[in-house]
Amino acid sequence: MDWLLIIVLLPLLAAAAVGFVPGRQRRVIRGITLGASGLTLLCALIAFCTFKVGGGIQFETKVVWVESLRLNFHLAADGINIGIILMGAIVAFAAACCADDITHRVKEFHILLNLMIGGILGAFASMDLFFFYFFHELALVPTFIMIGVWGRGANRNYATYKITLYLSLGALLALIGLIGVYVQTGAESFSIPDLIAKVQATPIAESAQRWIFPLLMFGFGILVSLWPFHTWAPLGYSAAPTATAMLHAGVLKKFGLYGLIRVAIPMAPAGAQSWLGVLAWLALANLLYCGLVAVRQKDLNLLIGNSSVAHMGFIFLGIASLNVIGLTGAVLVMIAHGLLAALAFGLSGHLYRQTGSLDMSRMGGLLRQMPLAGSALLMAMLAGCGLPGFANFAGEVMIFFAAWSAGLKTVTVIAAWSALVIGGLYMMRAIRNILHGPIGGDWAKAADASPLIAAALGLLLAALLVFGFAPGLLTKRIEGEVTKIVSLAKPSAIAGQIQTAEAAGK
Amino acid sequence: MNTAAWLILLLPLFSAVAIGLGAFRSRKASAAMSVGAVVGSFLLTLLLIAAGGELHPNVIWLKIEGLQIDIGLQIDGLCKLMLCVVTGVGSLIHIFSLGYMREDRDFQRYFAFLSLFIFSMLGIVLADNFVMMFIFWELVGVSSYLLIGFWFEKPSAADAAKKAFLTNRVGDFGFLIGILMVWAVLGSVRFADLAKVVPGETAAITGLAGFLIFCGAMGKSAQTPLHVWLPDAMEGPTPVSALIHAATMVAAGVYMLCRVFFLIEGTWAMEAIAWIGGLTSLMAALMAVQQDDIKRILAYSTLSQLGYMVMAVGLGSPDAAMFHLTTHASFKALLFLGAGSVIVALHHEQDIWKMGGLRERMPRTYWTFLIGTMALCGVPLFSGFFSKEAILDVALENNILLFLVAVFVALLTTFYMTRLFVVAFMGEPRSAHAKNAAENSAVMTVPLLLLAVPSVLAGYFNAHAPNPLVLAASVVVLVFSMLVANTLYNGAEADPLPARFGRLAKALRDRFWFDEIYQWCIDNVQENLAKLADTIDRWVIAGLLVRGTHGTTELAGRVLRLAQTGNLQTYAFWFAVGLVALLIFTLT
Repeated sequence: MDWLLIIVLLPLLAAAAVGFVPGRQRRVIRGITLGASGLTLLCALIAFCTFKVGGGIQFETKVVWVESLRLNFHLAADGINIGIILMGAIVAFAAACCADDITHRVKEFHILLNLMIGGILGAFASMDLFFFYFFHELALVPTFIMIGVWGRGANRNYATYKITLYLSLGALLALIGLIGVYVQTGAESFSIPDLIAKVQATPIAESAQRWIFPLLMFGFGILVSLWPFHTWAPLGYSAAPTATAMLHAGVLKKFGLYGLIRVAIPMAPAGAQSWLGVLAWLALANLLYCGLVAVRQKDLNLLIGNSSVAHMGFIFLGIASLNVIGLTGAVLVMIAHGLLAALAFGLSGHLYRQTGSLDMSRMGGLLRQMPLAGSALLMAMLAGCGLPGFANFAGEVMIFFAAWSAGLKTVTVIAAWSALVIGGLYMMRAIRNILHGPIGGDWAKAADASPLIAAALGLLLAALLVFGFAPGLLTKRIEGEVTKIVSLAKPSAIAGQIQTAEAAGK
Repeated sequence: MNTAAWLILLLPLFSAVAIGLGAFRSRKASAAMSVGAVVGSFLLTLLLIAAGGELHPNVIWLKIEGLQIDIGLQIDGLCKLMLCVVTGVGSLIHIFSLGYMREDRDFQRYFAFLSLFIFSMLGIVLADNFVMMFIFWELVGVSSYLLIGFWFEKPSAADAAKKAFLTNRVGDFGFLIGILMVWAVLGSVRFADLAKVVPGETAAITGLAGFLIFCGAMGKSAQTPLHVWLPDAMEGPTPVSALIHAATMVAAGVYMLCRVFFLIEGTWAMEAIAWIGGLTSLMAALMAVQQDDIKRILAYSTLSQLGYMVMAVGLGSPDAAMFHLTTHASFKALLFLGAGSVIVALHHEQDIWKMGGLRERMPRTYWTFLIGTMALCGVPLFSGFFSKEAILDVALENNILLFLVAVFVALLTTFYMTRLFVVAFMGEPRSAHAKNAAENSAVMTVPLLLLAVPSVLAGYFNAHAPNPLVLAASVVVLVFSMLVANTLYNGAEADPLPARFGRLAKALRDRFWFDEIYQWCIDNVQENLAKLADTIDRWVIAGLLVRGTHGTTELAGRVLRLAQTGNLQTYAFWFAVGLVALLIFTLT
């Protein structure tokens, strides 16, 4: 079955379907979005479960689009994106559940929401560089509009401009890098597997790699809020509507990381070798500096936004380690963080609806007031400071091992401090301010999560716990593909390992 | 047998999950499930002990390239002893809780958390590798956090929980780096593999790795300078203090050191561990002398006894440490539950100076508390006597200075326990609550009686003939200290020490200002760093760079707009200028 095609088309069809429903029919509109994302989730789950470990590229759909340009509509899954697609579908469904806080221009919002979901899933499912980029833009543009029109807070317009400028700049740099790759390889198609085969045979000239890699690194990096290009993220998310924040922070943001792993490292391995040291220190800046900034926040959404930026540091660090453990851990954290960010923004959206404020100094005792949402927030915060049992821990601990064995010892030590102590500090303070203590001023009448929202939160938590208890479900899928990428980037290292393994065998 | 071993670990998890998923519906079912789980684990532990031998079942949790992390159970003698302590003491404390918490509105949540804690603690005990131990280490940290903050609406409880979690996290940071170092050098995280490699590679494993691993123990077992969380942790319900902050969790650090003793043996870390242990036991005992809250006195006493155990490990005798851990678990749990019994009877009064005269009013609590006190003070033939002798023996053999410290600590221990006992139980009641106190029901007193048995007898399982010098020293110290404390406090209305030793007593009362110093550091270092980062973020990165770029772009736009006047003549003029410039450029 072409599961991926269904997964990508369903939301796009839903967007079209919503277009034909009169704007007054809000229930129908919501029903369509929920139904489509529910079905998408189901298909993604089937695809994930029927995925054959070690079976290479699967669920392929390949349609020639423009013969002369060798442009193909090519969807496929391998070990790296199958988990991300599942995560994307889970988050999309949860976002659809949390989208009923939109009360004006519901129809337009849902068209954009479905477009965004389709774009996101398409970007991660595409094996063709053109569609890979196209779908990302398809998801990005609705994000800007949604923040601008349905956003909240006084800073909304500034936030919209900022996020648009930053992300467009990032996407532009990445585009230049991608064009560079295309031109330098002299490839005849945009297909990522073809390109990889091509560079494997004849690598891009090292001098070209030297400028291609940083373009991709900073271009993709800006999309993922790499320090010091991170300030758009907390501001943008605190202004975004709940569903948009969940989808962007959870899934779409991972596009840059996915691009680094999928394109930048395999295409420009020599460039990567000389730039990954820089990336490791920038990753540390994400972890330490943004963690410290998070400590100072008074607004829950800014706290979540900053902590989410800090968590990107783990993934960058995993990538910078450039070994199998590190890259596998990076993909694992991408998935775990996607679920967690969606959970956190879903919860903050629910809280925001209660009193129209997320000022933590005015909250308190919400664990008693809203046991369901409160417990979910407690678990989200604990997962956010790396509690074992949640998927984040498994990925983070792998990244520590990877970074240490890659020789990034100083970075690892400071990163561990940032993760364990500073991460714990702001999360504990948030729990203390929001959930514990006597009930805060305006919150006495706040309501607990509705069944629909509770279902969304439960789903996200369940996914975090399943992958936390059994990270093998993901790692055994990821590992094989990642090994290929590492062997592309460091052929000598892998050869060396094989030799030592053989020597040990003898 | 393997199934039994897995069940020991999983029963409490099932209970916690079932109570949680049942959304805390039924009080009775929740309590029954939780108590059933821990008693079940206890019985299975007995079964394992009866069966004898070693077991090592495991499943792979995570395996990539050079890193394999198992969830595996290493069931050997050390593990069985600790299993016995955790599930045995745990069972009694669960039962005691039925009475202690019966009026609490979150009765079910309490038992869910308690089961979660037992699961996490058993994970540490059973772990066969470092990463699994670290996983459960964190889980124990969080269950302790949840239980300390059980009455989370009370600001002091919520703050204490936060403090405990964060202090432990500082220790865990060291632990994690230590694990990474061991893995990088020795290539495995499994204790069994490491034990095989280590004898040949001791040189490779520096003391630093050992010391970093000890940092984990420093957090969990509350050793100086990370001891500050334990006294505050008394904000939790008293059975929790007995279970977690006296008998089991705080002993986890000592257990872990014994488990990986082969790694630290012979490195400079040993010296550091011994001195930190000795220092902790001394400072905590001093602080205990001037506390007035019955639970805090016991908390400082726990710190001090943990210091003993850590010191014993550092002096090269994990056996003595484990011995003291075992006896301490029973008598300290007994003392805490006794304190809980008193606290309930006095309607949550914890100040010993508002007690008094409980001897007649609460006879069972009185007698069992007396047994616990005697065991803790090391009265000959009680369990604490043998284990304390064992530690003093080791100290005398290896480090005379630490031996003197240990003897002085023994003196202080007897002093503050006699003070507590005399003030709280003897004499006349000092408050209305104390006057009206009555003995608690059987569900609370029977666990006391059951714990009193090992408090007396546990020492005989491992009793050695004591060194005469040590014996003499400890008996002299015991009698002297008891007499002094009795004279000072029998019939006293208020503590006479502050008047006699003003400054010193105040320093003890204020716990040597550790909390204040840390608070100062947090306020001045951590907060300022965070403020700096936030300021840079707001004003430099977001302000100067982003708004600067924005501003420059806008300025450029404005400048260029000046050219767009919409005036035809101006355009014609500029067109002509351009043409001339072009001509000059091409012609020259």
